Amino acid sequence: MKKKTIKKFDTSKRNFLTGSVTLAGVAVATSVLPISIAKANHEDSDPKGLPDFIKWKNRDAFIVHSKKGIETHRSAIGESLITPNRNIYIRNNMPTMSDTQIGDRNNWKVSIKGVKNPKTFSLAQLKKLGHTTMATILQCSGNGRGFFAHEVRGSQWKTGAAACVVWTGVPMKVVVDACGGVDSDAVFMTSAGIDHEPTGLDPKKAKVERSVPKKVYKDAMLAWEMNGVPLPNAHGGPLRMVTPGYFGINNVKHLGQVAFTKTESTVKYMKSSYRISPIGKKGSQYPSCWEMSVKSWITRPTDETGTAKAGNVQIVGVAMGGTKKVGSVKVSIDGGQSWKKAKFVGPDLGKYAWRQFVFEANLAPGSYNLASKASAGGKTQPELRYENRRGYAHNGWKDHSVNIKVV
Amino acid sequence: MRIFKIFIVVLLFSFSLTINLKADSEKMALGLEVYNNKAMCGTCHILKAAASEGDIGPNLDSLKPSEEQVKGVVTEGLGVMPAFGEEGLLTSEEIDAVSYYVVNSAGK
Repeated sequence: MKKKTIKKFDTSKRNFLTGSVTLAGVAVATSVLPISIAKANHEDSDPKGLPDFIKWKNRDAFIVHSKKGIETHRSAIGESLITPNRNIYIRNNMPTMSDTQIGDRNNWKVSIKGVKNPKTFSLAQLKKLGHTTMATILQCSGNGRGFFAHEVRGSQWKTGAAACVVWTGVPMKVVVDACGGVDSDAVFMTSAGIDHEPTGLDPKKAKVERSVPKKVYKDAMLAWEMNGVPLPNAHGGPLRMVTPGYFGINNVKHLGQVAFTKTESTVKYMKSSYRISPIGKKGSQYPSCWEMSVKSWITRPTDETGTAKAGNVQIVGVAMGGTKKVGSVKVSIDGGQSWKKAKFVGPDLGKYAWRQFVFEANLAPGSYNLASKASAGGKTQPELRYENRRGYAHNGWKDHSVNIKVV
Repeated sequence: MRIFKIFIVVLLFSFSLTINLKADSEKMALGLEVYNNKAMCGTCHILKAAASEGDIGPNLDSLKPSEEQVKGVVTEGLGVMPAFGEEGLLTSEEIDAVSYYVVNSAGK
């Protein structure tokens, strides 16, 4: 009889073959039982909770999808306008650079190209060149992907891949002026990170290089501080590009170069990824995830915060206009049948930040579907999402509505 | 006669069991081969069963994806992950095997 040689596994794999030998055992091993979000994230198999590189964050504020996709709970986004650093979501394409890989932070270099006088600046030099502070929204292109009905690959964010951040750094305009101005035939501002370098992966596939329209440089900045502290490595420290009103991916982390170019970058993260295409279609001819659209959502009360007591209920949320100033926001307590204007409260940190809104409703015991709908620059949030293959750019108000019980 | 019938049933049952286990173990073997050598999944992923500690993509032991999810992402790619299927880097048999392998090893 012919002897069959089986390749050697290590002992843990051998257990699969000798342990659960019954058909039932095999069935259990191959089925994946759905785990409720709460259990998966707060009692998970990793006793440490958050990965080492972000141990300083607030574990309770998060839903951990993976080590590189960590979402802020709906109610933890910040009721004082600014999202505290401890609660800001994590979405990284490349592993976060370590202190060792970064080296002397003041000596971090960024090259400026596609300008009259190309130059390389150290962080220390940039700090002498200029200074500004600006509040913007950081939002993942895929924020809201979790609401799409079709099977969409990628982190299933609902509302928590977003934050309102105050950045400090130097205006890109100032850097450009110090280099004699932008080349006349430039059409794009193309920023590149260097976080792929330690991985040794092919830059064509791994480099995070993003082109945005040239005009963005006028309001853009190179940031070294986030909400008053040196930019954490996990958020792209020591230096990142901030492209106000544009989706997160364009705010390139671990910034190594800014080039004004005639054509878009041809790396994977620009050419094929982050394209808004119809379901079933893909390609670089489709629009890239650039300008964010008008959007809002309620942060309290939600089914996460538990039941609300009957009587006066403060319905709180955030509203933003993308690259336009958010003009107004309406709230509905009957699933969108009727709408009333909500109040903006708190400071106005400019068109690139969000506004906090409050709507006071007197609610009797019962079930309610609460929704918010913002308007900016003549555009209002649509009811439905724009169906697209990768679940990007969701700003439909219906999916963002919340069901609450008032007791 | 009845004992003989029972004997035949048990024999057929354990025979089919053996066939299934043999298919399983062959698929696992091919899957491991693809994981380690052809696709080099360990470059980017953590999977204790394969002693891989890559730090680029998700930790497969934590993620515990379904077979359909693995097949989809191995075929089409995602971000920096190559489209092993679409770019002709793996055959469909190899994709099936590595997906099966990952699903039956992740978190174990």
